[in-house]
Amino acid sequence: MPTIDFPKQDFDSLIGRTFTLEELEGWMLLAKGEFKGYDAETDELKVELQDTNRPDLWCAEGIARQIRVKLEEGPRSYSFFKPAKKTLDQIVVGHGLHVTRPYVGGFKATGYTLSEQGLAQLIQTQEKLADIFGRKRKSVSIGVYRLDPIQFPITYALADPDSTRFTPLGFDEPMTLTEILECHPKGIEYKSTLIGHDGKQHCPLLTDAKGIVLSFPPIINSREIGEVRVGDKNLFIEVTGTDLRMVLHALNILATNFADRKAKIVPVEVIYPAPTEFGASIQVPYDCGSELEVPQENITTLLGESLTMNEGKQALIEYGYQVKSRGKILSVKQPPYRDDLMHPVDAIEDIAISNGYHTFPTALPSEFTVGGLSQAEMISDKVRELMVGFGFQETLSNILASQEDLVARMNLSDTAIIEVDNVMSLTYSCVRQWIIPSLLRVEAASSHSFYPHSLFEAGEIVQPDQDAESGTRTLNALSALLAHPNANFSEMHSYVDLLFYTLGLSYTVEPITHPSFMDGRVGQLTVHGKPCGLLGELHPQVLDNWQIAMPCAVFELTLDKLTIG
Amino acid sequence: MTPEESSSLGKQELSSLHPLEVAVLTDLHTQSPTSEADLATHTGLDPAQVSMSIGWLQAKQYITVTSENVTKLVSLTPTGTEFSKSGSLLERIFNGATEAKQQGSLLTMKSLQETLGLQASDLSGPIGALKKERSLQIGPGGTLEPTQPTSALTSALAILIKDIAHGPSSYDDRPDHARKIIDTFSQRRGRSQEPFRVDEHIMRSFTLTEVGIAIAAKVVTTGVKEGYAQLTPEILKDGSWRSRAPRPYNIALRPPRIAAGKKHPYRSFLDKVKTTLVSMGFEEMRGPIVESEFWNMDTLYMPQFHPARDIHDVYFVKSPAYSEAIPEPYISQVAQTHRDGWTTGSRGWGYPFNEKRARRLVLRSQGTAVSSRTLASQPKIPGKYFSMARCFRYDQIDATHATDFFQTEGIVLGNTITFQTLLGLLSLFAKEMAQAKKVKFAPAYFPFTEPSVELHVEHPKLGWMELGGAGLLRPEVTHPLGVKVPVIAWGLGLDRMAMVALDIHDIRDLFTANLDLIRHKPMPF
Repeated sequence: MPTIDFPKQDFDSLIGRTFTLEELEGWMLLAKGEFKGYDAETDELKVELQDTNRPDLWCAEGIARQIRVKLEEGPRSYSFFKPAKKTLDQIVVGHGLHVTRPYVGGFKATGYTLSEQGLAQLIQTQEKLADIFGRKRKSVSIGVYRLDPIQFPITYALADPDSTRFTPLGFDEPMTLTEILECHPKGIEYKSTLIGHDGKQHCPLLTDAKGIVLSFPPIINSREIGEVRVGDKNLFIEVTGTDLRMVLHALNILATNFADRKAKIVPVEVIYPAPTEFGASIQVPYDCGSELEVPQENITTLLGESLTMNEGKQALIEYGYQVKSRGKILSVKQPPYRDDLMHPVDAIEDIAISNGYHTFPTALPSEFTVGGLSQAEMISDKVRELMVGFGFQETLSNILASQEDLVARMNLSDTAIIEVDNVMSLTYSCVRQWIIPSLLRVEAASSHSFYPHSLFEAGEIVQPDQDAESGTRTLNALSALLAHPNANFSEMHSYVDLLFYTLGLSYTVEPITHPSFMDGRVGQLTVHGKPCGLLGELHPQVLDNWQIAMPCAVFELTLDKLTIG
Repeated sequence: MTPEESSSLGKQELSSLHPLEVAVLTDLHTQSPTSEADLATHTGLDPAQVSMSIGWLQAKQYITVTSENVTKLVSLTPTGTEFSKSGSLLERIFNGATEAKQQGSLLTMKSLQETLGLQASDLSGPIGALKKERSLQIGPGGTLEPTQPTSALTSALAILIKDIAHGPSSYDDRPDHARKIIDTFSQRRGRSQEPFRVDEHIMRSFTLTEVGIAIAAKVVTTGVKEGYAQLTPEILKDGSWRSRAPRPYNIALRPPRIAAGKKHPYRSFLDKVKTTLVSMGFEEMRGPIVESEFWNMDTLYMPQFHPARDIHDVYFVKSPAYSEAIPEPYISQVAQTHRDGWTTGSRGWGYPFNEKRARRLVLRSQGTAVSSRTLASQPKIPGKYFSMARCFRYDQIDATHATDFFQTEGIVLGNTITFQTLLGLLSLFAKEMAQAKKVKFAPAYFPFTEPSVELHVEHPKLGWMELGGAGLLRPEVTHPLGVKVPVIAWGLGLDRMAMVALDIHDIRDLFTANLDLIRHKPMPF
């Protein structure tokens, strides 16, 4: 979830009204914004935005706009989305870009002076959009330039990486595209985004009519015209990407932001070599918002309230929508800076947000249901109760552990366990296949705690199982450990015997050999004719591996196997 | 003490005296002050019994310390006892070197080590002492040559060892030169193989307090009828309990510790949550820990390009990496919903859904995975379900992030479920789970619900806090799994409350390996 900072005074001026911090916290709900702090010295507000589908809200302009629409009881119109009467300057798209980064768009922002605050906000918005919405520039990246030196038309085309040279931001000398990718920090960081569907590297380039390079998207701007400074009055903003809707969406957000800061937006025409879903020639910014029908009935079903058609309509208008009512259906269209309307439920949520969740009455589910526990949980609760009665202290461990603890320290060698592929820490890189190591973890850390130690844990384990849907099985197990100077098989056997007796199960213990246990002092427990666990004295080598200086007798039972008749 | 006070000494005080106390009091009555050692001699008791009895009497304020004398006692260590029989190392080295020289050769360090069976490090001390005395010199090749016919130090040491072998004796009473030798050859850190040890011995003398004088007088004049310490089968059988009284205990003493069977404190907290949910009509559901991305994310309408699905958020399983084929019709319906909305009325995410990716196995990252499986298994309608699922996140572990943790979440299905029911249910959770009277609802975002709500409650101890998130499942989630009624999905964040209830400040302590912490953690209601 993005978190952004902005000066409160800048925010107030965008809304056109000064709020107290308390008031602001309430108004932020409209933008799913959570107030994270305010620094009175720098006047900086910190806000976290919850909605990952609303990139328009990841900036001061966007939050202010969402609040302003409510205050003004409806959206302002942004005239630059209307078809232009005059001929527009162009961006011409070359051939061959479809394998890599096919889409581009841009607009001019004029008659406005870039302030220090404005520039800081612009950079923040650009970063949030490119990083989060644009998936680290892969899907969408943004360039901002000084408009005055640019000669239209601009060309967007693939370039030869070795013969094309320009001076990138941050450097003093012209470099080839290959050199930029090898040496420039941004080249190194974003190089991987240039790999196309064909698995090859392609280098898109934006140049103006004189052949001067604007930028090498999504890597770096040219220093000549791609370095924007405080005081600049006329800007050119460009977005490139792999998804046309996303490119247009990002441009619409940026254009409305500039417009809200009183800039004049001059559209640009983009000419594609082949038709796109919005045609071969697109006037940008372009409102690609589609209309959606929201039946009155759906609103009632979802919100449990018989809002009148007009109330629903008004709530949506006050949230920025264009709404027409036709009979019992609202035909709604989102503002161009949004593109998150997938289903009527999305618009219905906006009705609830627009009116405020606190305005809704609350009701309890009226239909009767019977509560209960799963069989696994009931068995687990039963044996936990018995073990506590037997005098054992319950423990609770992480299910993730190390290969070392689960296998090596237990004297095991080729036991298959479930390992994590993307390991964060070796200590937590495997899923436990039995619980005994979890108990030994406690025992090894607790020699200072007075003896005897009688411990148990009931919990989940995961074992590989080729017959299972996921190749693994999550099982419920119970394990106990006795540690004191005379802990032995016989004492633990008494508890196992009492446990089975109390559960009304008959069982057998058969001698086996097991590397974790002493020879001649380990048995396999069998119930219903199937092996279900182990009982024995741990091998001194195992105790030594765990640096435990006390004899330990243990048992482990797979609880799921007790119920199979 | 006045006679009135004296006579008011109850029988209680007298009869609660232990026989050991009676013996000590009687002796102090005849001679006070008396030292601890004298008390032992007079009463014929073990020094340990005397010191135990003194402790009790001091606690009762019957006796008090009049003087404390610290004396140093020197005694032989096991090494010293051995030296007293076969001679000190000094002696053996010096004599060995002298003998060798008489036979015309020189003793070497190496042969010395072999004959004495010792390490070079054990020899360096005694050789150093002889060298310092100038009775021995070390030559080339580690040869040891005596430079005097006798070693005064060796002789003095032998005499001291012999003397102290009779038993511990005063250190301070010995002359200076003897004390010097004792100091040199005393056991201390890093010098464990020395013949002497010097211990401080505290000699205390005791006298009766005013109350003690009265009690002791009473003990001596009237005698103490001894109560029985423990009711035994014999006393019950012979009926002697009728004529004898039990000796009262000092019930103010702390009891001995016992290792009892108890539930784990955090597990106990979770049990309470579980009971509350069952009492509210929720049925428990379970799911696997190793889960396919399909059930963990795809069914929840999280697009496959969603940032929360990458390797920095979820643990992927190394082997097996993929599950079996996802059952139909779910895989097709979910895939189609992601692509174009299928028949849900949605436009879908509009990207090429990858069915192989859906089979990629992960460690369950959210409890909602359990709910998605329930939705696809003909759930009851109306129905209320919950799970307390162990979940896993790819997080750096610290005081607020655990590698695996419990998530309490669930669903509510029913024809009459609406946004208002959702808010009502959350208010109920606030009351039942956090004893909160005040709640606030904030719009929230989850990929699988619309509308989505965040629940903030006023906890009696914690103040305003986020208790959970919830919402109505999107049709893109319910329809492909075969559910056509509205469904509430909810999740509660209880760890913070658990940490407060258990007075824990580090989330890792919920799974601590420290048995003392588990044993002694109070578990309030």
